[in-house]
Amino acid sequence: MPIPCKAGCGKNAMLKRPKTGDALCKDCFFCAFETEVHFTITKAELFNRGDSVAVAASGGKDSTVLAHVLKTLNERYNYGLNLMLLSIDEGITGYRDDSLETVKRNRDDYEMPLKILSYKDLYGWTMDEIVAQIGRKNNCTFCGVFRRQALDRGAALLGVKCIATGHNADDIAETVLMNVLRGDIARLKRCTAISTGSEGTIPRVKPLKYAYEKEIVMYAHYKKLVYFSTECVFAPNAYRGHARALLKDMEKIRPSCIMDIIYSGETMAVKDEVILPTQRTCTRCNFVSSQEVCKACVLLEGLNKGLPKLGIG
Amino acid sequence: MVLKIAPILKKKPTRKLMIQKKLWKKNQRSLEIMLETKKVLICLTGGKSSTVLLDLIFNGLSQDNHKKLRIIPFFLHLTGIEQKEHDLKTAELIIRQCQHYNFNIYVVNISKFYLQNNNTLPEQNSTTEIINWTVSDPEANIKEILKKLTPTTSNDVEKRIKRDIFIRVASELQCKYIFTAETTTTLAINLLSNLVIGRGSQVENDVGFSDNRHENIKILRPMKDITEEELHHYIKVNKLNSVSTDHIRKNSLQSTIKTFVSDLQENFPATISTVCKTADKISSTENNPKRCQMCKSYFNMMTEKMTAIQATIFSRTVSNCQPSEYYNVDQNTNVKSPLDHHHHKTSMFPYIDNKLCYSCSKNYLERGLQDIFEIKSNP
Repeated sequence: MPIPCKAGCGKNAMLKRPKTGDALCKDCFFCAFETEVHFTITKAELFNRGDSVAVAASGGKDSTVLAHVLKTLNERYNYGLNLMLLSIDEGITGYRDDSLETVKRNRDDYEMPLKILSYKDLYGWTMDEIVAQIGRKNNCTFCGVFRRQALDRGAALLGVKCIATGHNADDIAETVLMNVLRGDIARLKRCTAISTGSEGTIPRVKPLKYAYEKEIVMYAHYKKLVYFSTECVFAPNAYRGHARALLKDMEKIRPSCIMDIIYSGETMAVKDEVILPTQRTCTRCNFVSSQEVCKACVLLEGLNKGLPKLGIG
Repeated sequence: MVLKIAPILKKKPTRKLMIQKKLWKKNQRSLEIMLETKKVLICLTGGKSSTVLLDLIFNGLSQDNHKKLRIIPFFLHLTGIEQKEHDLKTAELIIRQCQHYNFNIYVVNISKFYLQNNNTLPEQNSTTEIINWTVSDPEANIKEILKKLTPTTSNDVEKRIKRDIFIRVASELQCKYIFTAETTTTLAINLLSNLVIGRGSQVENDVGFSDNRHENIKILRPMKDITEEELHHYIKVNKLNSVSTDHIRKNSLQSTIKTFVSDLQENFPATISTVCKTADKISSTENNPKRCQMCKSYFNMMTEKMTAIQATIFSRTVSNCQPSEYYNVDQNTNVKSPLDHHHHKTSMFPYIDNKLCYSCSKNYLERGLQDIFEIKSNP
């Protein structure tokens, strides 16, 4: 028996929203999803009129949906933003080279300029070469540290006001769990912030912070967006996989747990007596760092000198 | 200083002394608070950690003068959640356990005590509370109400009710301190469970060494640094018998977390200790002086421009009406303002930040809870 769309448009429902459990038709779902992102952007005051924004694009579902929605909302609500795509090539064969083709497709579909930076050009190493040196266990550390710096450099080259990343609610919930399991207090404090950045750096915002991963997939599927859906070849060995498995199990029991974890993260704070690292600049490359020499420089030094474990826990 | 219990030990008495010494060192903090003899309420479930706590208390009281544990202990066992026969058996075994040390214990039925207006306690060492308890009003039976809730909420509400009863019994007996027997594993599971139901800000009181939510009575967790392995060895060496097992309802978030933590601990042995250390460093954001009526935690003052609560309420709003209704247009000024989410706010988070905290507010929505818990109308 067909159920009517909960939003009261008169059509029959086509899907059930994982976030609230309401049954909606396709168009009302699109409308609801887009309006929620608009609400997040306006309430959290993420952008200002006339800003240039770099959308961090990997070709995956999150960044494709982010680019599509930002373009749609920019036109619909007249944000006045200048959008462009920024992509990083880590040099992972069979994964990144394919996904870059998708990013180029996005550039053409959404008519946004695209800039690609590669690890090879920036650091002289591709991820494949790095993994050959250090093995498969701690490679995500290298990739993550290098990518953050690469995004900052790319944004500086493009001269943008801020970077928009496609982190969704599931990502943030996983990060909170992972930081608690690893005892990373400094990151725990920052990871639920919707806008991160400090003096002298280009801020990064997460407009999809409250969007469930399942809904992003549904949106991309029903809108027939083109995206690259394979996961990174090195992902199975990452510690994050444990947190993700736990989150998926819990989501089956209580789907609202994702929002509950984000709420917990937002209301937690660090005790006053705990000493947190202070921010300064790296003595070598002048990027933001909490130590004298930033992590990227340390890791790079280790790789170049043949001491790959330098900088790893 | 971490004790590594060597798998092969030469002399049994040395091992026993080693473990006892170590456990006492860990309890030093709680001992420092005991400058004069104080009355303490000790809550026992009959599980492994309760059994060890009982033995440690007995040993502490039998020490020489300057090392002696200066407390007047009262013992409490809460019952009435499981099957009657099971409850009876557990209670009888715990009474016998206590009498072995010449201690007396109160066995209190949760349903009966929680709903009575006064704090009168039953006779010590008797199981009449279990045998004579009949369900006169099923609406008022905590056991039945807990069954109606989802397992996750049930586990959570049971903890809050038990805490409430501990405080009431302690004030009846004029005890300023309460000891509970949580260990590293239980606390790691509690921290993660609190995190996933939205109680991340309450970690300091729920999982830390002391729970200071009541003005006069502190709940202390003297065994918080003791691991499961140490418990296991202590019980074996001293030939103790634990009488029951911890009860977490199946198919709940808490049971999922329990399985997850024990699995992860096998591959990453530092997991539980890391999680416990993290718990020690977490507090909450600026506190509102108002408190949640159910769990007595302080409300959080949200300083961010946008929070998860607003996002959730907006999602509900947007899924239930047409786009033209999202925004109200003020008739006088013709200015658009976001839809008044008041209706959805009260239906999704009743009394939030006013009388109930985030998680208690969500729990309150479940049928059955409103029967036993009335929101007091005066703030």
